[in-house]
Amino acid sequence: MQLLISSVCMALTSAVIGNAYYQKQQFYPAVVYITKSNASMAVIYIQFFVIVFMFGKLLRKIFLGTLRAAEFEHLLERFWYALTETCLAFTVFRDDFNPRFVALFTVLLFLKSFHWLAEERVDFMERSPVLGWLFHIRVGSLLTMLGILDYVLLMHAYNSTLVRGPTVQLVFGFEYAILLTVIASTAIKYVLHAAEMRTDTPWENKAVFLLYTELVIGLIKVVLYLLFVVIMAKIYALPMFVFRPMFFTIRNFRKALNDVIMSRRAIRNMNTLYPDATPEELRQSDNICIICREDMVNHSKKLPCGHIFHTTCLRSWFQRQQTCPTCRLNILRTPTVNSTAIPRPADEPANAAAAAPAAGPPGAGANAAIINPTAAATHETAQPHPNGTAMRNPAVPNFADIFAETNNLGNGIPNLAGIPPPPMLSPFMMQPPFAYFTPPIVPPPPMPQDLNAFNEEELLSMEGNLRKHIEERIKMLRNISLMVDSANILMQQYQGIIARLPPPVHVLPPNPTVAAQSVPVATDAATAVGPATTLTSAPVCDKPSTSRASAVEVKSHEGHQNSVTTSNTVVNASEKVTIEDLGAEEDIVPSNDEASLDVDSEDSSELSELRKRRLKFLEERNKSPTTSDKAD
Amino acid sequence: MAGSALRRLMAEYKQLTMDPPEGIAAGPISEDNFFEWEALIAGPEGTCFEGGVFPARLVFPPDYPLSPPKMKFTCDMFHPNIFSDGRVCISILHAPGDDPMGYELSAERWSPVQSVEKILLSVVSMLAEPNDESGANVDAAIMWRERRDEFNRIAQRLVRKTLGLSA
Repeated sequence: MQLLISSVCMALTSAVIGNAYYQKQQFYPAVVYITKSNASMAVIYIQFFVIVFMFGKLLRKIFLGTLRAAEFEHLLERFWYALTETCLAFTVFRDDFNPRFVALFTVLLFLKSFHWLAEERVDFMERSPVLGWLFHIRVGSLLTMLGILDYVLLMHAYNSTLVRGPTVQLVFGFEYAILLTVIASTAIKYVLHAAEMRTDTPWENKAVFLLYTELVIGLIKVVLYLLFVVIMAKIYALPMFVFRPMFFTIRNFRKALNDVIMSRRAIRNMNTLYPDATPEELRQSDNICIICREDMVNHSKKLPCGHIFHTTCLRSWFQRQQTCPTCRLNILRTPTVNSTAIPRPADEPANAAAAAPAAGPPGAGANAAIINPTAAATHETAQPHPNGTAMRNPAVPNFADIFAETNNLGNGIPNLAGIPPPPMLSPFMMQPPFAYFTPPIVPPPPMPQDLNAFNEEELLSMEGNLRKHIEERIKMLRNISLMVDSANILMQQYQGIIARLPPPVHVLPPNPTVAAQSVPVATDAATAVGPATTLTSAPVCDKPSTSRASAVEVKSHEGHQNSVTTSNTVVNASEKVTIEDLGAEEDIVPSNDEASLDVDSEDSSELSELRKRRLKFLEERNKSPTTSDKAD
Repeated sequence: MAGSALRRLMAEYKQLTMDPPEGIAAGPISEDNFFEWEALIAGPEGTCFEGGVFPARLVFPPDYPLSPPKMKFTCDMFHPNIFSDGRVCISILHAPGDDPMGYELSAERWSPVQSVEKILLSVVSMLAEPNDESGANVDAAIMWRERRDEFNRIAQRLVRKTLGLSA
């Protein structure tokens, strides 16, 4: 086909020339004849394009060899776009339209095609299994040649613009400047690929270099295009023909910028949040990075979910997705929770001390652990202690803030892992002893206020289904039933006492107290009991709460009744929220272990011991001037 | 050292040839270009596609395995999850984030953990159990749901066609 066209063209041209020579017999008249005849000129033009095309083929053979199908397709596609844009450019410069002008645009298109081909070739380097020395010579010489040509033509355009003022050379100068940036980026890519090929190990930072090259070149291109549009709009008209390439350039630049930002974030996250996998961990796993299917010798990271990958593989994946490739754990959410958890254990003693300075003897084990919260709660409900509030505030509210933040941060892909990683448990374990006994004046509970804020998947993901979690839950439930039983016994004892006493005047007031005080127990326990206790706000016989109720009752005997009951209404309002929050995360359950382990072995004698301690504590509290109720 | 995408594809090719799963064969069309594969999928037994051998083409992106490959059957197919031009529409081939049909869970989407083998196995199970909610080929989906006999007949005809028998 091509052969046919070129031979027909050749024949036509020779016919035209022969005809002219035959008619005029001499060289100059013949030339004049041809240039005067439109038909002859058309044939000559076509011949000219055919020659250019053939020359292009020759160059392609020399520098590129045979084109791959994909390369050819891309070339054709881009060529047609470029051609339409050239035609658009003609409309702007219709006054200067002459053969020289067409020739210049042809040269430009010709060079552009080779730039594209060179770009494709270099991109293909990375995907090609074997590359001989011929490839390197070809690409090297092609890039050098194109670079020199671009530079020469750019300088020519620049000089002619300086000498003759703005002409069509402005467009060429700008086009060659753009082509020069293309050559620069192609050359850089070539060098990077070639450097990687020389080594036997994957070059880790290549992706980063490529990213930054892309960014810088993109920036230069965008600036060039903007400059060009501004200059053209000032001198001629708005250059419609650069809008399409400009749009793509800006889009690419935006993408490059975004990539760089994401990459930096991924690198920062990996460096700060995830530990390097230790050799033991690598040995335990099958030691193959599932992303690239290669051995992990060094530079691998362990995610919070326990999966291990190459640092570089992870980085390139995190540029797109902030999830674990294996289990899709949202890695952005986990670390945030983790990092807030760190200060928590440190805060705890301070809080405990601030909240209950007169708490039971330190190191008293389970009993102390049980008494402390109660003490804190009763104490703080009774009197809004400025000190305790101040100490508590920094610890508690930021958690809620951060949780909300992570919710926003999450990129919409819910964590479906269903496996809250073990390290996450620890922060929650530390919480209940004080977090749920926060005084009513410090309303923000540590967890989000409403379960509705979570969608189904998020809730699911909070619910561990590992054996460990289930074991913990069962243990927890057992502890709860034990506590309920013991509370029942206590209740019976108290009822016996009350039956023997003359009916006290303040029988009614303790009721709301019971409801309010029941909450700590519920939080101590688990979600299962939680809702039930909140619902039974009125009846005195709220079993789990009896021990606390008794404490309050005792207290009321001592004349602090008023303050307790008044503040209790507030407690009632705020505590409900706490219970709901508790439902949102069952993982706090293990927190009770320490306390409940002793409850396990608790017999009636220990219970009475507990009661004695509580009474003692309350007495002490009343005596203590710093903590006694200022409300009175 | 070649690019990471190429190395991974080579590794997968090696693994697929060393230990081929049943009913599946796949490999690069030419050893020069590891980014275009041809796959042969045997119709799962006990389904209307039983006995057929369906050729398909897989095209891998330069950033594989970060992005999923594209898969297209090169024979005539009539299936609720295969477009009439042969493109396969299953969630494992869609990157998280883009959801052409708006029904897929992100857990089923592409991730670098997936592989050619898993894709092809998913396609086999897709042949066995079409998802008539996806509707890449609505006609096929409706026929599958309402006129199963007719669907089976068309499938059998396609099977014979792939085997080079007259339909």
